[in-house]
Amino acid sequence: MLTYDILIIGSGGAGLYAALESRSEEELRVGVLTKIYPTRSHTGAAQGGVNAALANLDSTDTWQDHWFDTVKGSDYLADQDAAEIMTREAPMVVREMEHWGCPFSRTDEGKIAQRPFGGASKPRACYSADKVGHVMLHTLYEQGIRHGVNFLNEWQVLSLMHDGTRCQGVTAINTQTGRVHTINAKAVILATGGHGRIYWTRTSNAFGNTGDGTAMAYRAGLPIKDMEFIQFHPTGLRRTGILMSEGARGEGAYLLNGLGERFMSRYAPDKMELGPRDLVSRSCETEVREGRGGPEGEVFLDMTHLGKERILEKLPQIRELCIEFEGVDPIEEPVPIKPTAHYSMGGIHTDINGQTEIEGIYAAGEAGCVSVHGANRLGGNSLLDILVFGKRAGKHALEYARGASFTPVSTEQEERDTQMINTMMDGKGSGITIADIRHAMGNLMAEKVGVYRNASDLESAISKLADLQEQFKQMRIQDKTKAFNTELVSALELKNMLDLAEVVTAGALERKESRGAHTREDHLERDDKNWLAHTMATQGADGRPKLEFSPVTITEFEPKARTY
Amino acid sequence: MNATITPDRKSILANIRIQRFTPGEHKSAFYDNFKVNVETGMTVLEVLRLIKNTQDSSLTFRAFCRSKICGSCSVRVNGKPLLACSTQLMPILDDFKQESVIIQPMRNMPVLRDLVVDIDPVIEKLAKMHPYIMENRGRIPETLEQESLMSRQELTKFDYITDCILCGSCYSACSAASADPNYAGPLTLGKAYRFSADVRDSFKGERMQAAVDQGLWSCAQCRKCINVCPKDTRPAISIQRLRKMSIDDGIHDTPGSRRAKAYTDDVAKYGQVNKPMLPVIVNGPKGWAAIEAADNYLIKHGIEPTHQVCTLDGQSSTQKIYAKVKELESRGENKT
Repeated sequence: MLTYDILIIGSGGAGLYAALESRSEEELRVGVLTKIYPTRSHTGAAQGGVNAALANLDSTDTWQDHWFDTVKGSDYLADQDAAEIMTREAPMVVREMEHWGCPFSRTDEGKIAQRPFGGASKPRACYSADKVGHVMLHTLYEQGIRHGVNFLNEWQVLSLMHDGTRCQGVTAINTQTGRVHTINAKAVILATGGHGRIYWTRTSNAFGNTGDGTAMAYRAGLPIKDMEFIQFHPTGLRRTGILMSEGARGEGAYLLNGLGERFMSRYAPDKMELGPRDLVSRSCETEVREGRGGPEGEVFLDMTHLGKERILEKLPQIRELCIEFEGVDPIEEPVPIKPTAHYSMGGIHTDINGQTEIEGIYAAGEAGCVSVHGANRLGGNSLLDILVFGKRAGKHALEYARGASFTPVSTEQEERDTQMINTMMDGKGSGITIADIRHAMGNLMAEKVGVYRNASDLESAISKLADLQEQFKQMRIQDKTKAFNTELVSALELKNMLDLAEVVTAGALERKESRGAHTREDHLERDDKNWLAHTMATQGADGRPKLEFSPVTITEFEPKARTY
Repeated sequence: MNATITPDRKSILANIRIQRFTPGEHKSAFYDNFKVNVETGMTVLEVLRLIKNTQDSSLTFRAFCRSKICGSCSVRVNGKPLLACSTQLMPILDDFKQESVIIQPMRNMPVLRDLVVDIDPVIEKLAKMHPYIMENRGRIPETLEQESLMSRQELTKFDYITDCILCGSCYSACSAASADPNYAGPLTLGKAYRFSADVRDSFKGERMQAAVDQGLWSCAQCRKCINVCPKDTRPAISIQRLRKMSIDDGIHDTPGSRRAKAYTDDVAKYGQVNKPMLPVIVNGPKGWAAIEAADNYLIKHGIEPTHQVCTLDGQSSTQKIYAKVKELESRGENKT
């Protein structure tokens, strides 16, 4: 049986930072298990910045300003003690990244460069051109190589194991061989990222952002929190959901419907295309719903009037994106876009050290929910979250693993998981494929649990998701080869997504208010009296989510209306 | 004045020919043909996924971010290594004037299944290159209360390589890696340069030795890596710079640095390279064997061998060029 003092699941920023924090100090056996290779992780896709009140550009900036901006942006659902820790520790973790060699862009004086960002009162997003997540991820990986971190690449986790009070480890399948293993660990840190892929093609997320750790924790009886909050970005490319940054609209691009009308005049006559993210997403969605979309339910981002010269000078990367991923040159024609699911605010419930209710089980980053983002995350706070809470989880797990002994574990779970896989591989099945179910799930979620939500849509989504769960049980994997069976990996991911989609939908149905990214057409106002609370979901004995609510920690800022 | 938007989208029925191989199941690689309606806007990756979703779920390839930043999905299309996710298929079909393309796994790495190759050997070579910053305490403060300062000019020296996504396209295209499995490859040497050129690093010496040991001088400067890199990281240029750095740092005891030094010294001295003596200068006394072989060959063909380099007129012009280069170098103008 494989054993690790600390096993980290996921190799993005949170996982690697946790690994470094727990590895650099002493000779504990630390492993990082990832379903890909570490530098492939989705942290690398973050472009804009990581927030820290370094005051390099605006000397009046303070972490307290950052704290307030974060709480306000969260629509007051963030726990203020957690947001305080994150913003206070931000300068330290960003400098630590810098000391490890992260190539941040520089100011004239040679300091870390910062830029303004949506929802931030001062320019505090530290950046490296348009690739800050990528260089952070690589820097962490490089330091991981230096410190001898042990990587298990291309392993897919299956089940999280504990004895009711203490962590035992996980079961996982080695994709390269197809064999299921039990891994005994004193501590497990779940850093598996978000679950934007429950919207399948209607997301900016990577193929693998399927919430594996969150679903595994949920099935192991741990509560998952605020799952109904999913941030949508208004301008994803039609085919792929890949993000077109706000830069284009900032430069003067128009949003047009299928009839060629600048429809934002209907919704935000003053701000037009530069209205807040959630409002613009809702407006795009309304145009399509009311039959004014393009041939495939899209709207258009039009830059043609800006002229070739200006596009080439100011928006070269955005143009490249349109050509490479959509086959459309924005100099020649409008670019088809759709709102795209971007970030999962919810996740595994943890305290400020990343710890869950089970000793030795931790979560960090987008997979976890402390909560610092509440109902809506600010740009530049996701990279910060993974650093601060990756580090804290790593540090705490190290202290725990130093003192704890291994909790024995049998191979029962391994046998059950092997059996589950054998069942999926056995026989021809009903003919329904993973692709069919995934496609149906994504469309269902985008239509009924997307930008707009209402009771009847959500109820119908619950029942349709139950149908999809049934279809999944009839689905059989056609590829019978054991080694490198990517169809099997997709099936395991789909199982996770179906579980989480149900929790997201149940939370959205229960929460009868509109707050941050959650918009109920039938309850348009924020309701602090009844709903200033975190949604806690656990899996009931019947397999369905059971919802409870817990208070939000308010220490400094009384909830006010959120206006910009 | 609004006009309804009707995008011009076309569709071609194309033949997608894909190399297949599962070790243990197949004796050797073979090709499968898939008919696919390729539409405007479709990337190579979308076509692979469409085939997997609708025709053959056992087709195996890697993909993750599908937005050109993770480096998972490198394959060869009509022989050229590229990222499947950021390559539009319609223009390739148009360019080749035929309704067919061939998709194969990357070269120079063992195939694990279909289009998936084993990248571990490359990662192991990278790890041996010390690809990380070891803190230079003259530049990096001990405390996290302070940033280390770095000018934009200092950053520019290596910033272009930090775009590298370790996709392996350069390794697949590399002629030196094909010839010598022990050669480190373009991306790993690029990384070695990236850290050695960083003023915050203190580990240059060890890393340089690792680069020399792993074939710094084996690169043939064919520049295929520059041609295929999806992120324009120009590995061959970094290799040149790392070579210069190693000579400047006094690592002269390698065949490559001896050759480089002979070239520059000879041209300064004679106006051309003293080719007859090059084998001895580069390889020491062993080089005489090559010279003797060449002599015998010439004698056999009735030519009298010479070990003298003939000097040409106009040497003073060469020396002027040398002086100008040295002047530009001292002003830092060759750093583009």
